[in-house]
Amino acid sequence: MKFLLIIAALLLSIPVVSAQTETPQISISYENSSRQEVISQLEQTSKISFYYNEEWLGDDLVSGVYENASLSEILGDLFEQTTVNFFFLDYRIIVLTQNVVIKDTLHESFYRDSLGSSNQETTEALPFYLAEKESGTSAIETVRIGKQQQAGTQEKLTLSGIVRNSRTGEPIQNLAIIEKKNGKGVSTDIDGRYQIALSAGPNLLQTKALGIESMEKRVIMYNDGQLDFNLEESIEQLDEVIVESNSLKNVETVVTGVVELNVAEIKTIPLVLGERDILKTAITLPGITNAGEGAAGYNVRGGGTDQNLILLDDAVIYNPSHFFGIFSALNPFTTGGVTIYKGSIPAEYGGRLSSVFDINTKDPNTDKFSGEASLGPVTSNLTLEIPIVKEKSGILLGGRSTYSNWILNSLDEESLKNSKASFFDIVAKYSNRLNENNTISATGYYSRDAFSITSDSVYSYSNRLFSLKWNRKLNDKNSMNTMLANSQYGFNIDFEGNSDKNFNLGYRINETELKLKFLKLFRNNHRINYGLSSKLYIVNPGEVEPRGSASIVAPLEIQQEKGWESALFISDNIKLNDKLSVDLGLRYSFYTALGKSSQKIYEEGVPKNEGTLTEIKEFDNNEIIKTYDGLEVRASTRYFLSPSLSVKAGYNNTFQYIHTISSNTTVSPTDTWKLSDINIAPQRANQVSLGFFKNFGDNAYELSLESYYKKSNNILDYKVGAQLLLNESIETEVLQGEGKAYGVELLLKKTEGRLNGWLGYTYSRTFTKLDSDFIEEQINNGDYFPSNFDKPHDISLVTNYKFTKRFSFSANFVYQTGRPVTFPVGSYFLDGAEYALYSDRNKFRIPDFYRLDFSFNIEGNHKIKKFAHSFWNISVYNVLGRNNPYSVFFITEDGSLKALQSSIFAIPVPTITYNFKF
Amino acid sequence: MKRETGTYHSYILVFLLLGNLFSGCTEPFSPDLLPQTESVLVVDATLSNESKNHEIFLSKSSQEAGELLVERNAAVRILDDNQQAFTFTETEPGKYISDIPFGAEPGRTYRLLITTEDNRSYISSAESLPQTTLIENVAAQKTTTESGNEGIAITVDSFDPTGNSTYYKYEYEETYKIIAPKWGPLELVAGPEEFQTVGVVNRDPDKEERTCYATDKSNSIILTKNSVAGEDRVSDFEVRFLNKDNYIISHRYSILVKQFVLSQQAYTFYEKLKDFSGSESLFSQSQPGFINGNIFPDDNSNERVVGIFEVSSVSEKRTFFNYVDFFPDEDLPPFIDECKRTTIANGDPSLYEPVKSNRVSYVGEVTNPTTGGIEAYIVVPRLCGDCTVLGSATIPDFWEE
Repeated sequence: MKFLLIIAALLLSIPVVSAQTETPQISISYENSSRQEVISQLEQTSKISFYYNEEWLGDDLVSGVYENASLSEILGDLFEQTTVNFFFLDYRIIVLTQNVVIKDTLHESFYRDSLGSSNQETTEALPFYLAEKESGTSAIETVRIGKQQQAGTQEKLTLSGIVRNSRTGEPIQNLAIIEKKNGKGVSTDIDGRYQIALSAGPNLLQTKALGIESMEKRVIMYNDGQLDFNLEESIEQLDEVIVESNSLKNVETVVTGVVELNVAEIKTIPLVLGERDILKTAITLPGITNAGEGAAGYNVRGGGTDQNLILLDDAVIYNPSHFFGIFSALNPFTTGGVTIYKGSIPAEYGGRLSSVFDINTKDPNTDKFSGEASLGPVTSNLTLEIPIVKEKSGILLGGRSTYSNWILNSLDEESLKNSKASFFDIVAKYSNRLNENNTISATGYYSRDAFSITSDSVYSYSNRLFSLKWNRKLNDKNSMNTMLANSQYGFNIDFEGNSDKNFNLGYRINETELKLKFLKLFRNNHRINYGLSSKLYIVNPGEVEPRGSASIVAPLEIQQEKGWESALFISDNIKLNDKLSVDLGLRYSFYTALGKSSQKIYEEGVPKNEGTLTEIKEFDNNEIIKTYDGLEVRASTRYFLSPSLSVKAGYNNTFQYIHTISSNTTVSPTDTWKLSDINIAPQRANQVSLGFFKNFGDNAYELSLESYYKKSNNILDYKVGAQLLLNESIETEVLQGEGKAYGVELLLKKTEGRLNGWLGYTYSRTFTKLDSDFIEEQINNGDYFPSNFDKPHDISLVTNYKFTKRFSFSANFVYQTGRPVTFPVGSYFLDGAEYALYSDRNKFRIPDFYRLDFSFNIEGNHKIKKFAHSFWNISVYNVLGRNNPYSVFFITEDGSLKALQSSIFAIPVPTITYNFKF
Repeated sequence: MKRETGTYHSYILVFLLLGNLFSGCTEPFSPDLLPQTESVLVVDATLSNESKNHEIFLSKSSQEAGELLVERNAAVRILDDNQQAFTFTETEPGKYISDIPFGAEPGRTYRLLITTEDNRSYISSAESLPQTTLIENVAAQKTTTESGNEGIAITVDSFDPTGNSTYYKYEYEETYKIIAPKWGPLELVAGPEEFQTVGVVNRDPDKEERTCYATDKSNSIILTKNSVAGEDRVSDFEVRFLNKDNYIISHRYSILVKQFVLSQQAYTFYEKLKDFSGSESLFSQSQPGFINGNIFPDDNSNERVVGIFEVSSVSEKRTFFNYVDFFPDEDLPPFIDECKRTTIANGDPSLYEPVKSNRVSYVGEVTNPTTGGIEAYIVVPRLCGDCTVLGSATIPDFWEE
C-alpha cells in the first residue's frame, strides 16, 4: 500500500475524468464475475499489478467481452458503476483509488513556483484530501508545518532545519533532501542545515546520504516552518544506498570535471586475479586512462602520469600500485571512495597539473566489532573495525598480502623457484569524536613490493604515509581543519651476482605538509574556504653502495635535493540565485629550492651540455637557490537551464614544482621524482572546460557531455636516448616543451534498476611540442606531435544486471585506440653494423586495445542476524583472449632487426574470490 | 611438504599466471607500417689527423633489414676554412676516396659537402680537430666476466695531461693465425666429368693451405669518456673480450686498437646509436627516435640525413699474444667446425660433385685388405683441411712471431 500512500499524499482533489497512458491491447471475456475476479484475470493474462482495497469494488457481478481493447477501455467499463478511479503508475502497475483522481501532473501553480517567479502569489486555500494511514504498515510519518492562514496560503513556502545523526547527535552534511515528485532537492551544509522551498499542501520529502538510512516524511505545508530530522545510520553501509546518494549531484555540483566513485559501486565489476580495484575502475570513466593493461600511472585529460596528486586521507601516495601496476595499492575493504578532480581543481589543492585523486579511508565503526575478509588466488585480505570508546572512537585495521612467494617457492620448477614477487599493504585509521565540536583522526599506511626478474637482482619499492587531522567547529558559522601529513616513497635495487660488482642502489623522496583550512559560512549564499599549506620535500635521488667486501663498485651518491612549497588559498561558493552558482578560487603558490647543493650553471641561450657548463655554484644548507611562484585561478560556474539540466563552465590554471624523470611511457618502479631547481622550471597548465549535465527517468539516468581545452608549458620530455638514472647532470637530458590537449567526454550512467552501469565515450587528443633554435633540442622538427598517451577514441561499457537480490551478472567492455609509438621505418649501415632508422617520434600506433570481461556475483543471504555475510565473485578477465600489446620494441640481434611485442594477459583469466563480512 | 592433487591444480593455474607476468609474453610482431617511400642518405665520414687518402662511404636507408643500398655518383668534397677543397672520387660503389692524401690540422675547421646523383645538396656543420692524445698502452689480460666466463680482455690506457680529450671512441682490427686441424699433404682431385671419378694427389707445395691469417674489424661502437672534473685518463678500459673457447685465439692473435678523440657532439651521436641497438625488457622502454647528426640539406628543408661528419684525432697501438701464454696447460679452443668425418664409397657419384667444387678435404681412405683397392674415401669439410677458407695464406706485413 506504500505506492498508494505516496500518490495519495500528492494529489489534489479536482474531479476530472481520468488519467490515461498508452496501454497494451488486451483480449478478455468474463461473465457474471466479481470485479476482483476480473482484476485477477487481468493480472494473470497481461502481467499487470493492481493496487487496491477489496471493499471498494462492490459485490455486484459484471460481464464483458473485449477483443484487442485498451486496458483503459476495459477498466473504464469495469468501474463504471463504482466510485473507483484508476491510475497507471506505469504500464505494469495500476493503482485504484476511491473517489479521488490521481493526476500525473501537478497543479499548475506548482510550475509557476518552480520557474522561480519572485512575486509570492496567494491563491484560494485548497482543501487537502489525505488518504488514511493503512493499518500500521507504513513507515511514512506525516508532519504538519505552520498554521493555515484564513485568507489563503502562500504558494511558495520555506522549510528549514537541521539534520542530525540520531545515534551520535552529529550534524549530517551533504545529505540530500528531495521533494520526491518533482525531484527537486537541496543538500545540507557542514552543520547539517538545510532550507528547501516547497509548495503549499502535502509534500513527500526523502532524505538520502552516504551511510545514512534513507527516510521519507510527508510534510503538509501550511506556512513557513522548521523541521529537524534525526536519522539512523544505514545498516548495510556497503550496499546500494550509496549508488543512489546525491541523485542530483550530477546536475547540481558547481565544479566541473568531477568524478566520484565509491567502493560499493564497483563491487560487482569483473576482477582480474581477484582484486577489486577502485582506481582501475576509474579508468573506465571518460577522461582518465592509463598507458595500457597493467600499466601503472594515470593520464587525466591528456596529462602525464606525474601530473596527478594522489592523496590517501590527505597524504600524498607516490606510487599507488602493486605488481608494476596490475593492481592498485589501495585496500578495497578500507577504502571508502575516491573523488577525482579532472577539470576544476579546488583551490585548497595544488602542486600537480592535471588532477587530484582524493581517496578516503572508511571511518571505523565505533559501535560494534566487525570485519571483512577475502580469499583470492593472489592475495588475501583482512579488515577489522574495533570500537575503543563506544560511539566515540574506534580503529580500523586492514592488511593485504600476496602468497605468490610461497607458491613460487613450493614449485618444483627450478627457474621459478628463485623468482620473487610479493607485495603487501597495511592501513590503520583511528578516529575519535572528542566532543561535539572536535574530531580527530589519524591514518597510517605502508605498502611494499619486491620482485626479482633475474636471479641476481631484487627490486623493491615502498610507500609510507601518515596523516593527522583535527576538525574543530569554532561556532555555527566557522570551522577549522588542521592537517599534518608525511609521505615517503623509495625504491631499491639490490644486485647480488657472483662477481665483484654487487651493489645496492636506493632512491627516496620524503615530504611533510602542514595545512590549515577554515570554512566560513557567510550569509546564506557564501561558503568560503581559506587557508594555507606548507610542504617540505627532501629527495635523495640515488646512491650506489658496494655490497660485500669483495665488491669493486665505487660508491656514488647524487646530492640531496630540498624544496619548500607553500600556498595561500581562498575559495567562495556563491549562490547568485536559484539557477546560477559560481565557485571562485584563488591559490598563490610559492616554491623555493633550498641548499645544500651544488648547482651547475650553463651558458644562456645554448643547449645545456658539458661543453656549455660555465660554473658550479655552491649553496649552503637551507640557502635559497631559486624561487618560483604563481597565482592560480580555479573558477567554475553552473547554470540551471531546467531543474534537471544544467550547463557548467570552468577555468583552471595550475603549477607543478616536482617532476617525474622517466624514460618510459608508463610508470616504472625506477622512476624518480625531481624538484625544480636552477635548471628545471616548474610546469604550468591552463584549462577551460564546458559541460552539459542532464538527469532523466526520475534521476535513474545521468547524462553528461563535457569538453575541455588545455595548454601546458615546460612539460618535461627527454632527448632521444636520454640516460636518466643516477645522472648527475640530468638537466642536459631534459627538454621542456609545450603541451596541448582537447577532448569531448560523454557519460551515460544508469544508477537504478535491475540493469545499471555506465557507458563512456571520450574523444581526446594530446600533443607535445619540443622546439628550440638548436637541432639537438628539437623533436620532430619542433612541430606538435601526439604525446605518448594520445588515444583519440576510448569507449568503456560497465554493466551489471541483477537477476535477484543475490545473483547478478556483470560485463565490461573497453576499447581504446592504440597509443602512439616510434617505429623503425627502415635500417641503415654505419661502420659495418646495421641500425634501425626510426620514424618521427610517435608517428605510428600500436594496435587498438579491446577487452571484454564477465563476472558472476553471488551474495550470501541478507539475514541481519547471521554471523557472516558472504559474497562470491567468479570473474573471467579478457574473455575474448585478445592479445593486447602492452609494448612493442625492436632489437638488433645477430646484425638484423627484430620487432617484438609484449602483452600481459593474452588469455582469458578466470578467478574466483570469496569475501565475507562479520 | 605433502600436497593434495586437488589443490595442486590451482597452484598450476597461479603459476601459469605468474609465469606469464614474468615472461611478459613477448613474441615477434610485424608492425603494420604504411608504405614508406622515405629513404634517407646515410653518411659515414671520418676525417682524422692522419695524412692519408681518406674514405667516405655513402648509402641509403632501406626498408629491408640486411639490405645495403649504396649512394652512387655523388659529388663529395671537404672544404676547410681557407676555402681549400679536397675532392673525393668514387672508387667502388658508394665508396669515395680523396684524390690527394691529407690530414686534419689543429686550428682549422672542415665542412663536408655532398651533392647526390638526383642533385640534392647537403652540407655539414664546421668541425675542428679535437686534442690529439696518444695511446699509452694496449694490453691483453686474463679475466673473468660478470657472468663467469673466462677469457682474455684487451685493455687500453691513455692519458691526456691537457685534460681536453674527454671523449674517446675505439675501433680495432684483429688478426689471428689459423692452422687447419685436418691438413694433410694429400688432396682429392676430380677426374673427367664423364667418369665421375676422383683421385688422390699431393698438394701443390707452393700453395700454403695449412697456416693462414684472418683479419676482422670491430663492428660495435666502443666509447668511453672521462668526467669533466677528474683527471683525463683512460685506464684498463676494455675494448674487446675474447672468450677462452673462441677459436680465433687458438694460436697467435694480434689486435690493433685505434683511439679516436671525439667532439662532444660526435660522442653523443655514437652513444645514442649504441643505446638503441641494445635489448629492452618489459620494464625499461626507452624513448627511441631519430638521432640528429651534423649534416643537413642545403635548402634548409626538413629532410633528414643519418650520420655524422666526424673530425677526430687518432692514435693506434698493436699487441700480440699466444693462447699458451695465458692457458699453458690447457687444450686449445675447439675449432670453428667439428670436422665430422664422412666415408663415401669409391665411385659413389655423391663424392664427385663436392670434390669438383672443392668443398671437402681428404683425410684418409678405406682399402680392401685383400685386394688393396680403395673402397671408400674419408673426407671432412674443406675448412678443416684448408685454411684459405677462413683466411689468407699471406703473412701480414706487421706480423711478428
